[in-house]
Amino acid sequence: MSSLADRLRGIVAGVGTGGVGGAGALAMRAAAAEAGRVVPSEAARVLGGVVVSHEAGEAIRVTRHYPAAMRHGRVTLGDVLAQVLGAPEAFAVLARAWPSSPEVAGAPTPSVDGLWLLDLETTGLAGGAGTQAFLIGGAHLSAEGITVEQWLLPGFEHERALLAVFAEWARERGALVTFNGKSFDVPLIETRYQFHRTTSPLAGVWHTDMLHPARRLWRLQGSAYGPTEGSCSLGTLEQRLAGVARVGDVPGAEIPGRYFQFVRDGQAGPLEPVLEHNRLDLVSLVLVLSAAMHRITHGPAGVRDAYEALGLARVYERAGQGAEADVAYGAAIRHLEQVGRDPATLGEALRRQALLRRRQGRAADAAASWGALASLRGAPPALRREAREALAIFHEHREGDLWAARQHAHELLSDARDEVREAAQHRLHRIERKLQARSGADLLGSTDRAE
Amino acid sequence: MATHDFAAPAALRTREKKEVALQGALQVLAPGEALDRPDTPDEVVTAVRRLPAIPARYAPYPDGLTPRLVDALRRRGATELYSHQAEAYAHVAAGRNIVVTTPTASGKTLCYNLPVLDAILKDASTRALYLFPTKALAQDQMAELHELTAAIGATGDEEIGVHTYDGDTPQDARRAIRSRAHIVLSNPDMLHSGVLPHHPKWAKLFENLRFIVIDELHAYRGVFGSHLANVLRRLQRVCRHYGSSPQIICSSATIANPDGLAERLAEQPFSLVSESGAPRGEKFFVFVNPPVVNRELGIRRSYLAEARRVAGEFLRRQLQVIVFAQSRLATEILTTYLKDDFDDLPGMPEKIRGYRGGYLPLRRREIEKGLREGQVRGVVSTSALELGIDIGALDVSIMAGYPGTIAATWQRAGRAGRRAARSAAVMVASSAPVDQFVVRHPSYFFDASAEHALVNPDNLNILVSHVKCAAFELPFRGDESFGRVNVQEVLGVLQEAGLVHQSGHDEDAAAQQWHWTSESYPADAVSLRSVSSDNFVVVDCTGEPRIIAETDFTSALTMLHPKAIYMVEAKLFQVDRLDFEGRKAYVRAVDCDYYTDAIDYSKVTILDTFAHDAEAVAHHGEVHVVSRVVGFKKIKFYTNENVGSGELDLPEQQMHTTAYWLEVPAAVMAALPGTPDDRRDGVRGMAYAMRNVAQLLLMCDQRDLGLSVNAGDDEVPAQGAGTVTLPVPAGPAALSDTPRVFLYDAYPGGIGFSAPLYGMHADLLTRSRALIEGCGCEQGCPTCVGPIGEIGPRGKSMALHLLGLLGAEATQAARDEVPF
Repeated sequence: MSSLADRLRGIVAGVGTGGVGGAGALAMRAAAAEAGRVVPSEAARVLGGVVVSHEAGEAIRVTRHYPAAMRHGRVTLGDVLAQVLGAPEAFAVLARAWPSSPEVAGAPTPSVDGLWLLDLETTGLAGGAGTQAFLIGGAHLSAEGITVEQWLLPGFEHERALLAVFAEWARERGALVTFNGKSFDVPLIETRYQFHRTTSPLAGVWHTDMLHPARRLWRLQGSAYGPTEGSCSLGTLEQRLAGVARVGDVPGAEIPGRYFQFVRDGQAGPLEPVLEHNRLDLVSLVLVLSAAMHRITHGPAGVRDAYEALGLARVYERAGQGAEADVAYGAAIRHLEQVGRDPATLGEALRRQALLRRRQGRAADAAASWGALASLRGAPPALRREAREALAIFHEHREGDLWAARQHAHELLSDARDEVREAAQHRLHRIERKLQARSGADLLGSTDRAE
Repeated sequence: MATHDFAAPAALRTREKKEVALQGALQVLAPGEALDRPDTPDEVVTAVRRLPAIPARYAPYPDGLTPRLVDALRRRGATELYSHQAEAYAHVAAGRNIVVTTPTASGKTLCYNLPVLDAILKDASTRALYLFPTKALAQDQMAELHELTAAIGATGDEEIGVHTYDGDTPQDARRAIRSRAHIVLSNPDMLHSGVLPHHPKWAKLFENLRFIVIDELHAYRGVFGSHLANVLRRLQRVCRHYGSSPQIICSSATIANPDGLAERLAEQPFSLVSESGAPRGEKFFVFVNPPVVNRELGIRRSYLAEARRVAGEFLRRQLQVIVFAQSRLATEILTTYLKDDFDDLPGMPEKIRGYRGGYLPLRRREIEKGLREGQVRGVVSTSALELGIDIGALDVSIMAGYPGTIAATWQRAGRAGRRAARSAAVMVASSAPVDQFVVRHPSYFFDASAEHALVNPDNLNILVSHVKCAAFELPFRGDESFGRVNVQEVLGVLQEAGLVHQSGHDEDAAAQQWHWTSESYPADAVSLRSVSSDNFVVVDCTGEPRIIAETDFTSALTMLHPKAIYMVEAKLFQVDRLDFEGRKAYVRAVDCDYYTDAIDYSKVTILDTFAHDAEAVAHHGEVHVVSRVVGFKKIKFYTNENVGSGELDLPEQQMHTTAYWLEVPAAVMAALPGTPDDRRDGVRGMAYAMRNVAQLLLMCDQRDLGLSVNAGDDEVPAQGAGTVTLPVPAGPAALSDTPRVFLYDAYPGGIGFSAPLYGMHADLLTRSRALIEGCGCEQGCPTCVGPIGEIGPRGKSMALHLLGLLGAEATQAARDEVPF
């Protein structure tokens, strides 16, 4: 007969039957694990920080300054910072393209003054009441350098204190920049404030999540074999944009486990790489922000390849800057035509340019883009059909050039699949009817313009 | 809701016509019988009972109710409340938790909607959480609440938000529901995995939660109920965190212990409201036993054919009928039969419809509407329509097969005659032992109270799962209990496994906290409808591989072993391969004329005896069960002939659980006449009957109880959970001097069946004897001791002899009276 504890061990170990296998090993592991307790002052010493006391407990604050003269991969932080702080209009473009949230959508676009960055390290990725931020990293910028402040939770019972200390720091700051913060960091930390039924310092703060512009600009990359679709993680971007190669970086999957071990044995040493990882993420986020703002400031002249130009055009378009977007699409199209290896992306660029031009009321320019797409060898069939249909419409209704309209309608029909065949047929018949009517009457008439 | 009747003459004529039609059909079924007559167990109609009409009892609207609410109810035709609605309101107003157990269609929902809406109208910050066992019921109730709130006419800022929140709720609507809904209608599964783990997002609801409504409380028994009890512990913890302590309002069908069940589930005291003030029309209740076609083998006419005949008598007379079948397959078969008999040409509106869980929601709504509006004249349903889905008032309810419990039988009977008109209910028994027992002993059903609903919230497997979820939601204090359970030891073991960590330096337990220290989201690993969330998927490889079904872990080996025939909507598939590690079964569509029945052997070892009686015959304790599927039989459709078999080599399953067992004393064995084989057959025949009677007594599924006959050193394995017939033992096996019959909870850790079974030991034996004695077969049949081919020619007489020696009281003389 097994004791209650043994049966519990069996159930927890997943034996499911209440058998005792493996329970002994578990107990031994736990005994070793529970060797010590966290002593905040000792942990602060190991991590190079200080203990911050609050009525609800303690937090460990670690401050690091990264001076302007410092290099980050191939770049110097001073140059990165000059780009960010010196181009407020570029930040406004990003902010307009991705408005913060419905509540602040109508607010005036934020300035770069007081801009700050946030990155959390958490006890898991699942979310929910049981996922906590054990490390909050914040950074603010000046011409002199980047200052990173980190607040570490010395034990779960100190969370209220951690949140209160961070709130004091974060209040009265400007716009917030994160990487994937819209779906992860910000909801997670707001949940922590809700959990403790206190007000989040992030409520109503302007928030720009760089993941979205980064995906537009850098998801695709040209190569000898055509475009490759790469990862858009911060680690990939810092490597691609500035040749940053981290040495001894702790893998993200190990991070929660290192923290759990720390709260059990009190040893802060293994957390040092986690803090360093968080600091480097923040510095690299400044780099990504700067690189995006550089493209925006300099336009197509500042891009490295056709894919960046295409992404830049889309950023401009989202921000409502049609003229700049059109130029950037043009640059992307030229690049892609020169390289000639990627008709799919070229087709997409032409389509986007055509749609933009049509929205701008530039029907003839749009038709030029559609024309280029319709005659593009190797273009995706769906795009080609869309172009031919648009051209048929343009010539039938806008130009009144029924012969050209019939030509495009014919091509559309020969290319059409079942589901659009009927519509194509219908269109062709109508054009034929009009042509007959016209040949019988006034050859100069363009009476069907109003249809 | 009380609607005073002042029926127009035309309506009166319709009612009279219907009553004549009903009378006519009853006359055909039981010719020449008086309406009240003695029971006749050996005839086809074994009982006809007349349940008299009951007039309504009204009560005025209580003082203090919001006048707008009263006005709205009056405008909808309720000039007064029924007495039980007023009683419920008074209890809630006094701050008490209540359980309402009045019958179907008695205006039960107003018992909770009245106090909840009143509280919201008085204070707009009030929040209420309604839990229903199914999504469909929540949808139904939302429609009713919307009508009521529209009648109240609160608009703009005052608008009363009523929303369902379940797996179907669109992501973009969820945020608004969390902050704005006054009444959230959900189900325990969603509360468990989607709401409680995210409670900070629901802060507004939890801070202002004043009412928890649990509808269809009786649905929460066994495993589901044991899980719900733990979900409610978590819910109440979260409420305390936000400073609220909601009142709980439950509604339940008639069971023996509604307030006891509520108290066990919610761990709070409850007041019972059971006296209905709603009127009830006269009802006839008829028991039908299909005629015997082969007396020696105990074979009766098919109960489905009999149900078809009975339904036909009513449908032919333009009465609206619901037929309840016991399985999806039986539902489809009966639907086909009745469509053949009554549906017009294709293209005409369908008068007969089928209804079951697998149908798409849109089709179900269409059928429900057709029933309410009368175009659908007959519906064949699984238990899906047993719960409170609104289908209006039907004339007749027919049960093809005993629903398994007294409570469910009344619930289904209540589907007919919802308004104060005359109605009928007919139960057609199948040849299953339980059905035969009930149909031959009508008093058991009509005079006994309904069953107890049993739960075991402290089942260790279930408890541990929810302690993990609870620790994820809020840290446990060092002196905190979970419901009434001290969980500090559980938390200690979770700490050993690295799942929680105790923090805080103080020696003071209250200042210490257990925090969740794992990346996982524990609610994902727990399914409320089973002990383990592990399941097998069935992959059809006939064409492109696709998943066609899933089964829970415990039934996978008996249903999905290699070469098993697996059925989905009457289509046959054969299992090609069972990937045990990957939890997948690969099947292929086949065309064959047989199905398979797994042979499942189990061996039970006693770990600990909690209690035994003075003679050391009845025992209760903890056991270790090892079971294995060793082979299968091929059984021909329709004739049920055994047409082959196969051997299987499948992994063993083990579990610790609780059991009741009967140990036959050596002296009793010695006193039995016959050969050792005869005696063995006697023990097994008795065990077969006991298992079926136990199922009847416990209000449980056949799956819930396992049976094993154990002969000490020399095992004679009997069937485990899930199989219907006893396997033939591998070789001649002698019984030990003191054989044991184990009836165990078929869930790891036990789910609470064995303790009551131990308490009912004497009843169990007496009723088993009554079942065997009352059976008309000569030497044994599947209705009493098991099929003669498996139980031996002397099994029946030996089982009776043995029961006599064990002290089971004879009931032969008084066979037609209440046997217990």
